[in-house]
Amino acid sequence: MLGVALMGFAGFAGLCLAMEKHFNDLLGRKPTASQQRAMRVGGWALLLLSLALAVQLRGWALGLVEWIAVLMAGVTLWVFGLPYVPRLLLGLAAASLVLGPLLAVLAV
Amino acid sequence: MKEGFRQAMAWLHTWTGLIFGWLLFAIFLTGTLSYFKDEISHWTQPEVQSHPLDPVTSLGLAQRYLESNAGHASTWFIRLPSEREAALSVSWRDPNGGGRRGFTDKELDARTGEAVEARDSRGGEFFYRFHFQLQMPHPWGRWLSTFCAFIMLLGLVTGIITHKKIFKEFFTFRPGKGQRSWLDGHNAIGVLVLPFHLMISYSSLVIFMYMVMPASILASYGDSSGYFNDVFGRDEVPEAVAQAAPLAPLSDLYAKVQEQAPGARMGYIQVHNPGDRNARVTFTRASADSVAYQRSAIWTFDGVSGELLRRGAPESAAMTTSFTFVGLHMGNFAGPWLRWLYFAFGVAGTAVIGTGLVMWLGKRQLKHAKSARMPGELRLVEVLNIASMSGLLLGVAAFFWANRLLPATLEGRADWEINGFFLAWGASLLHAMLRSGRRAWGEQLTLGALAFALLPLLNALTSDKGLDHSIAAGDWAMAGFDLTALATGLFLAWAAGKMLRAPKPAAKRAPRAAKTVEAS
Repeated sequence: MLGVALMGFAGFAGLCLAMEKHFNDLLGRKPTASQQRAMRVGGWALLLLSLALAVQLRGWALGLVEWIAVLMAGVTLWVFGLPYVPRLLLGLAAASLVLGPLLAVLAV
Repeated sequence: MKEGFRQAMAWLHTWTGLIFGWLLFAIFLTGTLSYFKDEISHWTQPEVQSHPLDPVTSLGLAQRYLESNAGHASTWFIRLPSEREAALSVSWRDPNGGGRRGFTDKELDARTGEAVEARDSRGGEFFYRFHFQLQMPHPWGRWLSTFCAFIMLLGLVTGIITHKKIFKEFFTFRPGKGQRSWLDGHNAIGVLVLPFHLMISYSSLVIFMYMVMPASILASYGDSSGYFNDVFGRDEVPEAVAQAAPLAPLSDLYAKVQEQAPGARMGYIQVHNPGDRNARVTFTRASADSVAYQRSAIWTFDGVSGELLRRGAPESAAMTTSFTFVGLHMGNFAGPWLRWLYFAFGVAGTAVIGTGLVMWLGKRQLKHAKSARMPGELRLVEVLNIASMSGLLLGVAAFFWANRLLPATLEGRADWEINGFFLAWGASLLHAMLRSGRRAWGEQLTLGALAFALLPLLNALTSDKGLDHSIAAGDWAMAGFDLTALATGLFLAWAAGKMLRAPKPAAKRAPRAAKTVEAS
């Protein structure tokens, strides 16, 4: 489930960066239109992928419940941590992008 | 028209939130504690030792104990030790016996099968019961808490309508900006954890739907007991025929259940007419085994021949839906990490209510910032805010201190723990009335910080289950309680520090990042 959680976390980070205001605040420059689109598509894709993985691993009942739980936990951590440790969270999101799918592949 | 509707919803959100917020805060906080009901009970009864699980041996011990101590009882109940409950609990009903409605409860050591003389305490059960009964006579507490659940659901819906920029500000939290930050925090915890909040308040209504919408039940059953028998699939038990016959070994019956459902954990085992020719043994699967309650996971045996007589009836689709909501609310299925998340989301729900109450007052206080005295109604809200939030925390701490300090032999000991809870809560109301707002907050939070942070020390001094022992023995329920109390203490100390320091003038700091777009 850790893999699912990390993928969901990275997905929400992507969706956050798809918004101009947050991209600007976090990375200090304006996103191009294609960057924004890539972030949005990538973010949603990660969320959907993590859902599919959760259901695959734990079945519909538990998979859905645990998916929502880890997603809520991840995004809450992101939003409330962002004003204090933005760089750490960006690093964490980048690491999740790599570690999440890796853990998921190992778990299947 | 549209703006009018939103304003109406904002009005509803503001006022129902204020009137019911104090009670909702208590319901959410004690409900959150209830996710660790068994762990809290473990802490409040340190005499009960935990041992590695061995259901077969435990069943044998329970049967031996009950046969020699409750041979004449009409019914036995057995709860096996689980990952979360250390004790092997047995209880029996003896029509001629004393106790509560003829019931006697004992907790046995899971290894020796001897009764444990544990201190009398309601433990986690107190918070769990308070959470939906509010220490009021039946059924008024249930009605009031159900109504609060309805208000919570209403608050969520009206809150979503009031909050205009739910997607635009989805990721927004701007600390250090006074009222703005409180609103951001309130919105963000509300929105980000919304699935949990919606599930919790809606499922509360499902749990008590027989009270909330009884018409169809009354029309078809006359009263609710026939309805419950049908829903939960209880069967008629034959009368005892007064012919002695030895009860089959329960461990053999347990093995038969395991053949049908490999790895199933047992919730409780019920024996009707033990020692009689008409003995019946019912195994019910633990609710920890599935998200939804399953009435089909029941096995009834002839207690003498050991023949499997019946399995529980399968669930209909509607039943599965409502059982799923009930299961999601209770979270019995959750293992350690999911249980911690449940706890965290419960804290989040409590925080949404708390921040809402603080904002209601803060917004109105601003208008009177220049006048010397606050209007009476605002002062009333302030006192109630303090007593309902920091006061409740003091009450919870008082319960645990009473648990460790009251002598084990005290008459009505468990009741005195509960009295300690209410006395501390009441005292905090008095204190809030006597002190100015900020001071009252600061002093109560300081006391709360000390009370919680010192709990691990108190535990180590008054029992042999201090952190040094519990961590070494891998007793994580005990250690987790102590560490959570310590963390709570540190958090309260931080909050107290904020309150006791001189209030800063409304911060007008330059935005840290390049620019923050609009702050409407």
